[in-house]
Amino acid sequence: MYSIPLLFGVTLISFVLMVYFGPDKTYDLLGRNPTIEEINEIRHQLGYDQPFFVRYLEYIKEVLLFDFGYSDSTGEKVTSILAKTIPVSIALQLPGFILGNVLGILLALFAAMHRSTWLDKLIMSSSVVGMSISYLIVIITTQLIFCSSYGLNLFPVYGWEVNSLSDYLYYITVPTISSVFVALGYNTRFYRAVIVEETTRDHVRTAKAFGHSASTILFKHVLRNSLIPIVTRIVFSIPFVIVGGALLLESYFGIPGVGLTAYDAITTGDLPVLKAIIVLTTLMFILVVSLVDILYRVVDPRISLK
Amino acid sequence: MSDAIMEQGSSTVVPAKRESLWTKAFQKFIRDKVGMISLSVVGLYLLIAILAWLGLIAQGWDELLADGQMGPTAEYWFGTNINGQDIFQRAIYSTKTAFEVGLTVAVVATITGALVGSTTGYFSGTWIDELFLWLMNCLDCIPYYLMVAAFAVALADNPYAMHIAMMSCFWMGTARLVRGEVIKLKNMEFTEAARSLGVPVYRVIFKHLLPNTSHILLVEMTLLFITAIKSEVILSFLGLGVKDSISWGLMIAEASGEVTAGYFCNFFASSGMLFVLVLAFNMFSDSLQDALDPRKI
Repeated sequence: MYSIPLLFGVTLISFVLMVYFGPDKTYDLLGRNPTIEEINEIRHQLGYDQPFFVRYLEYIKEVLLFDFGYSDSTGEKVTSILAKTIPVSIALQLPGFILGNVLGILLALFAAMHRSTWLDKLIMSSSVVGMSISYLIVIITTQLIFCSSYGLNLFPVYGWEVNSLSDYLYYITVPTISSVFVALGYNTRFYRAVIVEETTRDHVRTAKAFGHSASTILFKHVLRNSLIPIVTRIVFSIPFVIVGGALLLESYFGIPGVGLTAYDAITTGDLPVLKAIIVLTTLMFILVVSLVDILYRVVDPRISLK
Repeated sequence: MSDAIMEQGSSTVVPAKRESLWTKAFQKFIRDKVGMISLSVVGLYLLIAILAWLGLIAQGWDELLADGQMGPTAEYWFGTNINGQDIFQRAIYSTKTAFEVGLTVAVVATITGALVGSTTGYFSGTWIDELFLWLMNCLDCIPYYLMVAAFAVALADNPYAMHIAMMSCFWMGTARLVRGEVIKLKNMEFTEAARSLGVPVYRVIFKHLLPNTSHILLVEMTLLFITAIKSEVILSFLGLGVKDSISWGLMIAEASGEVTAGYFCNFFASSGMLFVLVLAFNMFSDSLQDALDPRKI
């Protein structure tokens, strides 16, 4: 139910922004010195002479039929482009995503356990420092440290030729280090706030009064009850991890992922690819919303009783 | 005895010092050393930005002054870049660009978020609320960088394409927060009282409800400022950002090719300036939250 208006809205926004006001492809398809008739012919083929709603309906029809066709710039089938690039993006982002969240939660638990001692202050102030460093600076610095002759020179600067696990680790290490570094500051802060709020609740005080050990309280009473915001944050960042978030990493490390493909499609006006990506992100968003609902029930059985 | 009476009398005549939540927050902020230090760092940057904006300093940022790739010298503090432009002046002038982007985006996005959030919060459960929630969800569906790229292409010749794109992507968070707070506030007695006195709806929203969310708006504005500056750097690096000017992002983009060749001046100057500003603003924002929100842990 929720998904139909959403899909409609996203296609409308993407159509207006990326197609109606998007790049004009007339002159890309024409030869030198075209005549007026040739120009008009091409514009008619591309549908530029049609009114807004006709073009939008055409666009929505193609979206609904999953008829993405062939890429304008490479001539490759759009579905095969996506089938090639999405696994790369996932493989690139997944280790960093998991590590960033797990380390974030662990650090947050540790900080919350030692609340308002110097350890807590140290972790929190380093997370503010981590938050303040731009992603770009982190990428360039890690590349300098790990990939250049000024640093350790252990890993490749550029490229993605993964055939085995060791190749994978070889190409993934530096991007993962930078993405974990960037995510850790934000994650730790968020998770600590969530966990500390839970530790001030009455049931935790009761558990303490019953003489449960600190680790039991932390994992069984605090972490378990603060899972809802944690799950929400993790699940809602999935679409962006897969499509949007990797753009910088992919362009800097020369990795052929879906973020870079989407960026190129927008800047060159590669309409078929663009449509496919828009549909993909919307579907992923809808999937995530339903996934959150299911996970809420798993995490907190009270919700399914309501 | 008459003295005692006089004293008593005068003490009742002198009005007790007004203590509102704002003055309390202000007192708390003043006492916060980290907050004051970071605020003064931000103030220093603001001063630099205003001076550059008035045309008093760093006007030679795009002049070819000397040989390319010089190291730091007495005349050119951070050396020169590949074209022989003074890196120090470029880094200083970029402060103006950063504040331009940060302030316009933060102010416009917060105001939009406040208006939408308060209206939808007041009308929660009606079609107005549904409509705006739908719009927000749709905008959330499209990854931010792709949205900005689309805006940049659609508004090809407009130098403010990036600003417009950020404004239209950043207001949703504020709107959601304000909406939640307004829903909470509109069930309180003072709203009930205002409504029963016949105060028109727009005045209830904008005079009674919205001002009560100003602590959220203030903090959101500082956070958006940081986000805008950081995004500006990344977008400029991708070639979607500021044009016909200089920014830290463009300097880092220049430097990204040079660092592997061993020229670090450009990179350190731009990223250092950026880092200090963002760090100071983050700490300022933290102290502000501490001062404004007694519940913050």
